[in-house]
Amino acid sequence: MITQKFKHFQRETLNNLWQYRARNVFSVTIICLSFLIVGIFVSLSNNLRYTAQQLSQDMAVVFFLKNNISPIDREAITQELDNSSLVQNIQFVDSEEAMEKFLVKFPDLQGIVENLKINPFPSSYEITLREKDLTYEDAQPFIDKMKKMKGIEDVQFNRDWVEKMNSLSRLARAIGFFLGGILILASFFIVSNVIKLNVIARKDEIEILRFVGGTNVFIRIPFLTEGIILGALGGLLSLLLLFIVIKLFPVYLGSSLGILKELINFRYLTFSQSFALILSGAIIGLFGSLSSIAKFLKS
Amino acid sequence: MIELYHIWKQYQKPDWALKDVTLKVNQGDFCFVTGPSGSGKSTLLKIIFREIFPTHGQIVVDGRNILRISDHKIFRLRRTMGIVFQDFRLLFHKRVFDNVAVVLQVLGYPRKELRRRVFNALRMVNLNHKMWEYPSHLSYGEQQRVAIARAVVNNPNIILADEPTGNLDTELAFEIMSLFSEINRKGATVIICTHDRELIRHFGKKIVFLYKGKLLREENI
Repeated sequence: MITQKFKHFQRETLNNLWQYRARNVFSVTIICLSFLIVGIFVSLSNNLRYTAQQLSQDMAVVFFLKNNISPIDREAITQELDNSSLVQNIQFVDSEEAMEKFLVKFPDLQGIVENLKINPFPSSYEITLREKDLTYEDAQPFIDKMKKMKGIEDVQFNRDWVEKMNSLSRLARAIGFFLGGILILASFFIVSNVIKLNVIARKDEIEILRFVGGTNVFIRIPFLTEGIILGALGGLLSLLLLFIVIKLFPVYLGSSLGILKELINFRYLTFSQSFALILSGAIIGLFGSLSSIAKFLKS
Repeated sequence: MIELYHIWKQYQKPDWALKDVTLKVNQGDFCFVTGPSGSGKSTLLKIIFREIFPTHGQIVVDGRNILRISDHKIFRLRRTMGIVFQDFRLLFHKRVFDNVAVVLQVLGYPRKELRRRVFNALRMVNLNHKMWEYPSHLSYGEQQRVAIARAVVNNPNIILADEPTGNLDTELAFEIMSLFSEINRKGATVIICTHDRELIRHFGKKIVFLYKGKLLREENI
């Protein structure tokens, strides 16, 4: 009996989808475009986060030491760094080595440095942090503590760049969800109304089903599956369109963007993000049709 | 079988569509409800299959007070009834076969059994040769016979028909009424609303006269 009903629902759903194909295509298109907007921003956010991760791998905290630092203070600093769980790697760079590095990077400035007669470069500890995803707030107490230690002149911590990237990534995602949210809400109402039109078009059939003893569930299921299919199809098509956009966008922009090209070089959504997109489409379809059929059956 | 106790129905004040109707229809009865237009015939039928609720009164069908059945369980009552409307209420985008099969699909009949029953129902109304046609290709009389096949396909205990011959000429009306009579002979209780005196005279066994919502008299022939 259940198999027979299942077959009936399957047949009815496909019939409905085909019978009202024009408005169904319209509704799928709207869902698809709404999800495409979300997809583009999520993809952009993925990219910014990826760039931030890349940057964070090269990030080091540099503790510049005072020129007159005592061996005891230096030892204390070394021990503190050794004991910290955040520190992955420590490298001591003395002032001579610092000057050599500088001159390798900027050979044109060799004359100026030699004229100074003293070595202006302080000794330093260059350390890399252990956690790639460590936030600025996580590392801050450690840096503040080190700053207060005797013998430390200054601290250079470029992790705020990574933080800016991460913030930008979060912003992109938030914009995506905001814009997408509005569009998804709109698509919810559109699906709901498209299903409502389908319900109204089949008013007589629903009435007959009720007279011959059809349960509300029996009447509802074909409409609900229709909504789910429309929503999921919209989500799936948006992924396909997103793929095309990602492939075509760099070609369209060419090399005119320079360094920015890397930042907006979209990366495709992860599997879980893609799955979530399709699932959201299906859920929107389900609730869209549920709301319209519920109103109708109540009336 | 069907008992109505002091049924009153008001659609809008101050008019009453039914006024204190008390009626009993026994198992296997062939009952005509008659009266002029606006006498409350259709309202009475709608109340029996609970499309609408009476304003006052109680209705018992097969020993159950149907007014106490919750909305989501009313399908159980409807599955024991076959309903035929004056305007047929067929699905014109579906074939004759599917129009009749819809009742059995609701009940989840296996495909083979469903086909057998639909074929038998259509054979009974002499339309088995047109089962793959669309209703729009059929005459009025044929469409009404499809509606009757749909009403009887699951062998319901009760058949309710609201002016089933209203749009048909006399010859077709007699043909349709003969079908109802045959269904009744097989054991179903049949209640037909009509104002066609000729039909009542010819087929009537139990006749209920309504006038302006009041039950004037009952006759058992």
